[in-house]
Amino acid sequence: MAADPSKPLFPVESSHHPKPPSRKPQTLTAESKFWRSFKNSELASGLILPVTALEFSPVPPHDLAAASSAAVYLFDGATLSPKPFSPLSSFSDVAYSPSFRCDGALLAAGGESGIVQVFRLDRAGHALRRLRAHARPVRLVRYPRVADKLHIFSGGDDALLSYWDVPSETQVLSFPGAHHDYIRAGSPSPVSSEVIATGSYDHTVKVWDVRVSSNANPVLGFSHGAPVESVLFLPSGGLLATAGGNCVKIWDVIGGGRLVHTVEGHNKTVTAMCLGRMRNNESSGRGGGESRLMSVSIDGYLKIFDFAAYKITHSMRYPAQLLSVGFSPSGLARVVGTSNGTIYMGKKKMKEKEGDIFGAKVVSEFDTFAPGPVKHVLRPNFRYFRRGQNEKPQETDYIVKRAAKVKLAEYDKLLKEFRHKDALVAALNQKNPNSIVAVMEELVARKKLLKSVVNLDTDELRLLLGFLHKYATMPRYARFLMGLAKRVLELRAEDIRSKDELKGYVRNLKRMIAEEIKIQHSLQEIQGMISPLLVIAGR
Amino acid sequence: MITGGQSFVSSPPAFSHDGKKLLVCTGRTVSVFSTSTGMLITELEGHADRVTSIVVIPVAVAASKFVSYCWTSSLDGIICYWDFSVPELVKKVKVGLPIFSMVIPNVSRNPVGSNEKMSTLFAYLSVEDINKPADQHKALRGQIQIYNLTNSHRVKGLLAETLNPVFISVSKSGEYIGIPNKRKLHIWKVPGKDCKCDEIKKIKLYHTKKLSTLAFHPYERMVAGGDVTGRILIWRGFGKRKFSENLQATGKGRTTNEEERPGVRGDDDADSCATWHWHSSEIKFLFFSSDGAYLYSGAKEGVLVIWQLDTGKRKYKPRLGSPLLYFTDSPDPSLSCISCADNQIHLLKMPTMEIKKSIAGIKLPFSSPDGYKGLGSEFAYDHAAGLVALPTKDYCVQFFSLYDNLEVSEVQVCEKNFQPADDVTIYVALISLSADGFVMGTVDVKLPEERLGGLVSLKFWKHGSRMGEYSLSTVIYEPHSDAGISALAFRPGHDMAVSSSFGGDFKVWVHSSYTEDTDQMLQKSGWRCQSIGSYKKKPMTAAAFSADGSVLAVAAGTVVTLWDPDSNILVAIIGDTLSPITRLSFIGKSEYLVSSSKGSKPQLSVWSTSNLSMYWSYKLFAQDVSCTADGSQFAVLANHNSLDDTTTRDGDGVILLFDVENPVPLATWSVQKAKRGGLTFLPPNPSFHDTKCKEGKDTSLLLYINGDHEYVIFDPHSSEENQIRRNAQKSQAPPEEAVRFGYASIYGELPDISLKKEQIPEIPFVPSERPWETIFSGSSHVLPPLTKLCSAFLASLLEKRPSGNE
Repeated sequence: MAADPSKPLFPVESSHHPKPPSRKPQTLTAESKFWRSFKNSELASGLILPVTALEFSPVPPHDLAAASSAAVYLFDGATLSPKPFSPLSSFSDVAYSPSFRCDGALLAAGGESGIVQVFRLDRAGHALRRLRAHARPVRLVRYPRVADKLHIFSGGDDALLSYWDVPSETQVLSFPGAHHDYIRAGSPSPVSSEVIATGSYDHTVKVWDVRVSSNANPVLGFSHGAPVESVLFLPSGGLLATAGGNCVKIWDVIGGGRLVHTVEGHNKTVTAMCLGRMRNNESSGRGGGESRLMSVSIDGYLKIFDFAAYKITHSMRYPAQLLSVGFSPSGLARVVGTSNGTIYMGKKKMKEKEGDIFGAKVVSEFDTFAPGPVKHVLRPNFRYFRRGQNEKPQETDYIVKRAAKVKLAEYDKLLKEFRHKDALVAALNQKNPNSIVAVMEELVARKKLLKSVVNLDTDELRLLLGFLHKYATMPRYARFLMGLAKRVLELRAEDIRSKDELKGYVRNLKRMIAEEIKIQHSLQEIQGMISPLLVIAGR
Repeated sequence: MITGGQSFVSSPPAFSHDGKKLLVCTGRTVSVFSTSTGMLITELEGHADRVTSIVVIPVAVAASKFVSYCWTSSLDGIICYWDFSVPELVKKVKVGLPIFSMVIPNVSRNPVGSNEKMSTLFAYLSVEDINKPADQHKALRGQIQIYNLTNSHRVKGLLAETLNPVFISVSKSGEYIGIPNKRKLHIWKVPGKDCKCDEIKKIKLYHTKKLSTLAFHPYERMVAGGDVTGRILIWRGFGKRKFSENLQATGKGRTTNEEERPGVRGDDDADSCATWHWHSSEIKFLFFSSDGAYLYSGAKEGVLVIWQLDTGKRKYKPRLGSPLLYFTDSPDPSLSCISCADNQIHLLKMPTMEIKKSIAGIKLPFSSPDGYKGLGSEFAYDHAAGLVALPTKDYCVQFFSLYDNLEVSEVQVCEKNFQPADDVTIYVALISLSADGFVMGTVDVKLPEERLGGLVSLKFWKHGSRMGEYSLSTVIYEPHSDAGISALAFRPGHDMAVSSSFGGDFKVWVHSSYTEDTDQMLQKSGWRCQSIGSYKKKPMTAAAFSADGSVLAVAAGTVVTLWDPDSNILVAIIGDTLSPITRLSFIGKSEYLVSSSKGSKPQLSVWSTSNLSMYWSYKLFAQDVSCTADGSQFAVLANHNSLDDTTTRDGDGVILLFDVENPVPLATWSVQKAKRGGLTFLPPNPSFHDTKCKEGKDTSLLLYINGDHEYVIFDPHSSEENQIRRNAQKSQAPPEEAVRFGYASIYGELPDISLKKEQIPEIPFVPSERPWETIFSGSSHVLPPLTKLCSAFLASLLEKRPSGNE
C-alpha cells in the first residue's frame, strides 16, 4: 500500500530570517558520559588550609591520603569516610607529599621541617622511621612503584635528591645540587624501581637511575620551559608527562627526551596530574578501560587528556583553585583538592548494588528452603489494564506503525480553522517574536492581517502594541514591523485616543522611535567616516 | 512529431467494467490507464476534436469478462464505438453538431453478453447549435437531442433548449436524466421502449440561485442539486405526481397539504427539499455513494466533503491541493477517482479516502497576478534529460518528461499551505536550470498586503540522485532588497549564477563550500554573492551568459551591457532599442546576440558583439526566443497581434526559424494559443532517429508548448512529419492479476482445502475365519452399541460371495 501522497500541513514559519543554525545536538560521547557518571560531593573534613597532595593506595580498598596543613588525612577507599586513626598528625609543621608503599602497608610523607616520616597504616601511633638529611622543606617523597619495599626517594627545596634505605634510616645515595632550584615534583618509573624523574623550579626535568654511580649526573635531562609543578610517568614507562606553567608536555624518555606533544588546555598554572583508568562496570576486571591523564590547574578546571589520541576528551570546572588530583585505581572515585581546603570527590556507586545483587543470588542459591513466589491475586488494578503495553517488538514481528501525530502549535490550529484574529492573539500571547512574525507573515499571505488588526479588542491591541514597542526596531524584523506599526496606529487611531491605557504604549513607541533615529544618525556618521577610508583602501 | 501535455480533466473519466482500467479523455484521444499502476496502457485515436464523454458498456456475464466496449462522443460531432481492450474502432455515428455531453440511460439494461435481444440504444446528447449566431445575447445554443445509436438516426424533436450546452446527468438505473438550466432542474423519466420526444414526461424543480450540477440517488427517488453559491439542495420523492403510472395517485398528490412538503418551492413536484451549505463557491460535482448512504460533494476549496444523507453530518478529505472537478466511482467498491483542476486524477481507496495512485498530467497554466511578472518564459528546460520545469499553483515546480509525457517529480518551493479558494499571493515567479541540470534556481514572490510584508526569495537547489529530484541548498531572502528579480541565468561550466533585478542592479552568485565549527570540521556549502553591478541605475531586465561562459550580457533598459563575470568589469555597451529588452540570448557559439523587447514598440534584434552594433532587427512581438546549442540558428515564437493579420484568431502565433546571417526566415509554422507559450531546441535524442537521418546535419528538435501547456516536438529541418515517433507503443500494460474482492482482498487467498477426505490407504486385514465368535467378546462397556454389532454379526453369519478378483 502506497503512502498517501496528499500534501502535509505545513506549520507557519518565519521566513524573514532563517532559523538560527541548529546547535550541534548535545549527544554525549561515551567518554563524557563516563566522566559525568560520578556523583559529586564534598569530602567533609573541615580543612581550611590548601590540600597539597592526594594519593590513593595501590592495593584494595585503595585508601586515600590527603596532605593538608600539619597532618595527613586518611580515608577509607570504599566509602571515602575518615579512617579511625586519621589524621596522622605527628608533624611539627606542614606535611607534604604522602606516598604509599607498593603493598599499601606503610606511608611516607615529607614536611616543611625537612624530615621524612614513615607511618604504619594498620594502627595509630608515632612514626616508625624519621629520615633526616634535608635542610629545607621536603616536597617530594616517593616510594618506588615496583616491588621495592625498602627504599624511598625524597627531594627538597634544598635541591637535594636522596635515595634512602628505610629500615636503617640511612641515605644510600644522595645527589646534592641535583637541580638548581627547588625540587617540587617527581615520579618513580612504573617499570623500574631504580629510576625516578624529578622536576624542579629551574625549569628542568631530570631522570635519575640509582644504579648509575653517584657522580651527580642524571641519565637524562631536558627543559620544560617553565617551573615544573608535576611530573608523571605514563603507564608504559616510556613517556613522561610534565606540568609547568599552563601547559602539559609529553616527552619520549626512551627516545632521549624528545618532546612528543604539548597540551595547552589550561589558562593558568597546571598544579597536579594523575592517571585515571576509564573502567565501566562491564569491564571492571583488572586492566580494563583506557588510561587518561588528568590534570588540574588553578584556573579551576580538571581536564581529561587522552594521551593515545593526544586529545582533551573532557573537562570539568570547580569553583576554586585546584592544587591536587587523585583517581582511585578501582575506578570508582575521583578526588580533587583545592587551595581553600575543600576536597571535591566524585564517586561511582554501582559497585555496592552489584555486590548486593550478587550476594542475594548466592544466598538464594545455597539456601535449602526457598519460599515460592507469592501468588498474586488477580485484581483488576491499573497495571492489569495496562499489561503488555510496554512490550517490545521482537525482530520477527511485523510492526504496524501508527501514523505519527503532527504536533501543531495553537496558532497553527487556529490558522487551519481560518480564525485569523484568534491565531494572531494566540501567537502574541506566546511572546515568541519569531512565531508572532511567522503568523503575521502567513496572514499577509492570506491578505487578512489588517483585517485582524482592525478586529482586535483593547486588551489584544495592548498586547500588539507592547510587542511592537519591543521588537519593531529589531533589525531582523524592522522592515516588516515598522510598516505594520504605522498601519496599526493609522487604523486604530480613534481607539488609542479614547483609551488612556493605550496612550502609554504609544508614548513608549514614540520614545523608541526617537532612540532609533538617534542610532541611525550615529550609524550614518560612522558610515560617512568609514567610506572615504574604504575608497582609499580600494585603490 | 511527438505531442503531449494534454489535459486529463477536461471531461469526466470512466472506469472499465472490472475497475482495472480508467478511461480518460485526453484531447482528441482517450487514454486508458491501469488503476493498479497508474501507467498508460493504450490510447484510442480516431476523433478529430476534443473527446467529451465516455460511456462504458457494462458486462453481465463473467464469461465475457474480457470484452470491453465503450461509446465516446466528441466535439467533432461523431460518436464512436470502441473495443478498448484491443483497441479498435468498431462503429462511427455521425451527429453533425459538437457534442458536449452524452448519456445512454438504457445502456445498463442490455449489457454485453446477455442472451436477450439487444434493445435499441438511445443516446441523449447535449449539443451546441452552431447555426445560431454566437454573439447574439439570448440565443439558445444548447440543445438536448435524442439519437438512436442502433440504426444511427436522430429521433425527431428536441427535449430542451438551453443558453449554453450543459452537462447531462443520468441516474444509476437509467430511469431519469436531468440537466441544470439556470435556476431550475429539468428531470425527464426515460421511457422503457421507444422514444418520442413529446411523450417523455418531464418535471422542473425550482431554486432561487443558478444551479450548476445535479445527481440522482442510486435507488431512491431523490435528486441533489448544487448551485453557484455552494448550497446543496436535496429533493426527496420528486415527480411522484407526474411520473407515477396511475392517474389516481396523481389526483391524491394534488390534494395533499402544502405544509407536508417542507422546503419545496411553489408547485414543485417533490415531497421535501433540504438545503445544506458548507462550500463557499460553486459546487462542481455531486455524487451519491453506491449504497445510497452518502453524498460526495466538491468545489473550489479542494476539500472532498462526504455528507451522511440521514443526518447531514460531514466528513472531509482535505488538502487535495486544487479545485475538484469530477468524482467517478468504479464497479470495485474500494476504488473511486477524483479529478482535480491541476490536471491530476487521484485514485482513492474508498472507505479510508486514501490516495492510492495519482495520474498526473502537465500542470495547467494559472494566471499570476499582474503586479509582478517575470518577463521571460515561465518554463525551464533540462535539455539533457528532456524535462520541462514549470511552476504550479501550489508553490511547487513540476518536472515533466517531454518524451514520455509523464510527470517525473514535483519540488515544493514554498512550504506553505495552498488554499485553492484564496487569491494568489505567493507564487513561483522564475525557474532556471543550469545547462547540465545539476543546479536549479527559483524565485518565489509573496505579494504584500497594502504594501506590507512582501517578500522575494531566491532559492538555489541541488540535484539529487534521481531524475527531477532537487534538494534545497541556499535561501536568499530579498536578494535585491525589495525589488523584483527579472532574470536568473547560470554560467555554463561554472558554479556561478546571475540574477538581475528591476531595482537597477544585478548580482553574481557563486557556489562555495567552507568549513565551519573548527572542532567538528563540518563541510558546508552554499551560494553567496560575489559581486554586484549596475549601469546608470537602470532597471536590469534580462541576463544571459555566452555559451563558453566568458561573457555576461545584462540588459539595462534599452541597452545591452557586456561584463566580465569573474572580475565584474563592464566590457562594452551595445546600442539602443525602442523599448526595454525583456529577453536576451547568445546564439549558439557565434558572436551574435539576440534580444527581444515587448511593450508598445516590440522589437526583435540581432546584435554583433564583435563590432558592437545591431546586425538586423524586426518589429515583432516575440513571446519566446530559443537558440540552438551550437549552430547559428534560432527560433522565435511571435504573436499575430503585432503582424497585420486580422483573419486569425486572437492568441494565434507563428514560429519563425532564422539563421543569424540572413534576416529572411528559414521556415515558418503557424500555431494556435501562442500566448504565454514556450519554445526551445532539444538536443537530438538518438532513440527517436533512424540511422538514415544522421547525415551530419543539425538534427536538434524544436519543442513548442502552447498556452494550455500542450506541446509538440518536431524536427524543424525536415518536411516529413513521421520521422520521430515516441518510443511508446512498448506495452506498459500491467500483468493481469487476479482481482481480489471481499474476503480475499482483506485476508488474502484461503489455502486450498480439498473437500475430499484424505485417502488413507486401506489397511489390509484378514478376517478371521469365524468372526461371530469374537464379535461379542470383551467387557460390555467397551463394546459398541448392539444395534451396530448386530448387523455385523448377521453379516458375518452370511456366507460371502467370492469377490471379483478371481
